[in-house]
Amino acid sequence: MSSEHATLLKDSVTDFVTRGTDIARVRALRGTAGEYDRKLWRQMAELGWLGIAIPESHGGMGLGLTETAIVAEGLARALTPEPYTACAVLAAGALAASDNEALKSEMLPRIASGELLLALAWQEQAGALDSNQIALQAVPFEGGYRLNGTKRYVVGVAGADAYLVAGRSDAGLVLACVERDAAGVSADLQPLADGRHFGTLTFRDAVVPRERVAATGASAGAALARALDHATAIASAELYGVLSRALEMSVDYMKTRVQFGKPIGSFQALQHRAVDLYIQQQLASATLEESLRELDSDPAPQARAAIASRLKARCSDAGVRVTREAIQIHGAIGFTDEYDAGLYLKRALVLAAWLGNGAQHRRRYAALTLKKEG
Amino acid sequence: MSAEAITDYNARGDDEFRSQVRAFIEARYPEDLRFLPRRVRMSEIRGWWDTLAEKGWIAPNWPREWGGMGLEAGKMVIYLEEMERHGVARAADQGITQVGPIIMKYGTDAQKDYFLPRTRTGEIIWSQGYSEPNAGSDLANLQTSAVIDGDEFVINGQKIWTTLAHDSTHIYLLVRTDQAAKKQKGISFLLVDVKTPGITIRPIRNIAGHEEFCEVFFDDVRVPRDTLVGNLNEGWTIAKALLGFERLNIGSPRRPQYALMRLEMLARAKGLFEDAGFVDRFVAIKLDLEDLASLYSRYVEQVKRGEPLGQDVSSLKIWAMEAWQRLTDLLVETGAEDGVIEGAHDIEGVEIDFLNPFYYARPGTIYGGSSEIQRNILSKYVLQLPS
Repeated sequence: MSSEHATLLKDSVTDFVTRGTDIARVRALRGTAGEYDRKLWRQMAELGWLGIAIPESHGGMGLGLTETAIVAEGLARALTPEPYTACAVLAAGALAASDNEALKSEMLPRIASGELLLALAWQEQAGALDSNQIALQAVPFEGGYRLNGTKRYVVGVAGADAYLVAGRSDAGLVLACVERDAAGVSADLQPLADGRHFGTLTFRDAVVPRERVAATGASAGAALARALDHATAIASAELYGVLSRALEMSVDYMKTRVQFGKPIGSFQALQHRAVDLYIQQQLASATLEESLRELDSDPAPQARAAIASRLKARCSDAGVRVTREAIQIHGAIGFTDEYDAGLYLKRALVLAAWLGNGAQHRRRYAALTLKKEG
Repeated sequence: MSAEAITDYNARGDDEFRSQVRAFIEARYPEDLRFLPRRVRMSEIRGWWDTLAEKGWIAPNWPREWGGMGLEAGKMVIYLEEMERHGVARAADQGITQVGPIIMKYGTDAQKDYFLPRTRTGEIIWSQGYSEPNAGSDLANLQTSAVIDGDEFVINGQKIWTTLAHDSTHIYLLVRTDQAAKKQKGISFLLVDVKTPGITIRPIRNIAGHEEFCEVFFDDVRVPRDTLVGNLNEGWTIAKALLGFERLNIGSPRRPQYALMRLEMLARAKGLFEDAGFVDRFVAIKLDLEDLASLYSRYVEQVKRGEPLGQDVSSLKIWAMEAWQRLTDLLVETGAEDGVIEGAHDIEGVEIDFLNPFYYARPGTIYGGSSEIQRNILSKYVLQLPS
């Protein structure tokens, strides 16, 4: 994509955010069971964003992560609660990388149009970064699979229409599509710091017909790993959006808040604190730009994982640090629920933890890059 | 002048140019001077200087009419990257990097004709007389005076932290020529032969035990009026002209490579990558340097597009130098008792010097504008916070 197109896309996200959402809406939705707004979701679909990474042959735009990140960053700056990365990148990405062509032809265009909101249910253990710990049983029978087990930390469950579930059979991983109201499926919501929810899904002899199986074995594993790395990168772009806005708010506040007869931004202790946050933003920005470019050139799985981990490590830590220090820079007002700084901190906390925090990704980066020469 | 000196390197492809530079360095640079954890002395590096000068490569940044390579910014970055990649020591190159370009821009024809060819061949070696005991970060507070007396300036005062002054034949000076004017306004830029009577150079031993910087005393030193570069009282503007590129160069992610390589070898030899606590700290620093490389290459791209560097490049210098220090802190800590034994020694089959890289990383947050001064710059010019 040319820089001109990137600028156009950026402008259209800014325009959408300005008209379609505001902090009052974000506040109104927090803690509600609905969590987000399907009307806004449809508008995002009309702009093509829900199918941004879905191939054109399946009703999408077939663009790369660089473009997807522009949308995610812009939405996150405004704390938009809609599960953009979870659905349009993680779930749609796993499905698009699967090999059941009939299922893809049926579902991907409906995801791109906003009609079908799909959530990916893969994780079971806190801190898991890959499919190794998946234990949900997928027992084959003549007509398909029977699922038994529990999935946790699923984003977007509140209004999801269907789940793409990762289970394990004797023959390896299984990625299967299950409707939200299918027999044997139940959902629980855990409230999150930022007013959204993690879903816990329980499967008791839930039946998946063969034609609803997206991928099995190595191809399921590859599809899942790819989607996880890509979503990790886009969640990093969200973190970058959140921290950038929080830094702007902090610097603006430092210019206007007066104490001891001067703007507090004239005090060197605060200036240097703000500069250190700016340096973190610059590092996150440069790492994000380079990582997205590399990921868009479709590197081999191990290199791809290392790129995603390096990026998430920087953006998670920078995101939490900048938003945490935004509270300090604002003083007591920053600690109030009424002021928005807290909303940015809470979103950063959730985004940092989701798909692996800085410490976890550094360990994964070490495992991917250090051992091979040993 | 050899045939190479009139070659148009800019017309070559980046990859071709890079491999040509690399091959030359690998073939000709002395092996025992690679990755020195200290500044090299002129007596050690003179042979390499001559090799480069003969090839026409000593002054990559100078235009070809003055015997330079005339490299555009992108090729310049490649040249410097290849020097660093191989661990080529930095000679007393301030004549090439600093005062040469200043003379070209502000000097008289006589100054150009006299100084530029001699600077290129290394007949004249320059040191930089900026800092003073009471003018460090607050450089504009400098007090060394030059008073006009007939056809001469009479210089009195003291410079300090003058890197490799004892290897230099000439010093370029910022001196106060108008006591009444405000700070920056009364400063002039002079080119002075260090053999002039009244100049005393005294080396200062640094914490690494090396004598790299010096004190330079001026006691009624009489120099001709034609040592003045540019106009009287306009020295500050002249000195400030080259700072952006310096901050980019200092921010190169390759500078800490020696320490990183050694730490990685040591960790492998000691089995430390099985120690989760060590891995956490090692990878945090490794990623700090990887991310630095991303930021650095963003600025390099900017330079290659021909765009000027803004004040935001200070963030690169701060991060590079502070990450380098964290790395060498961990190196010494990983050595435990061995880490505080002076000199290079053998640890589990790895030849390693713990203390020199640690010492050498210390002044990085002080020279070229301290980290605190860089933060002031970012605060004022980038975040635009009030003063």
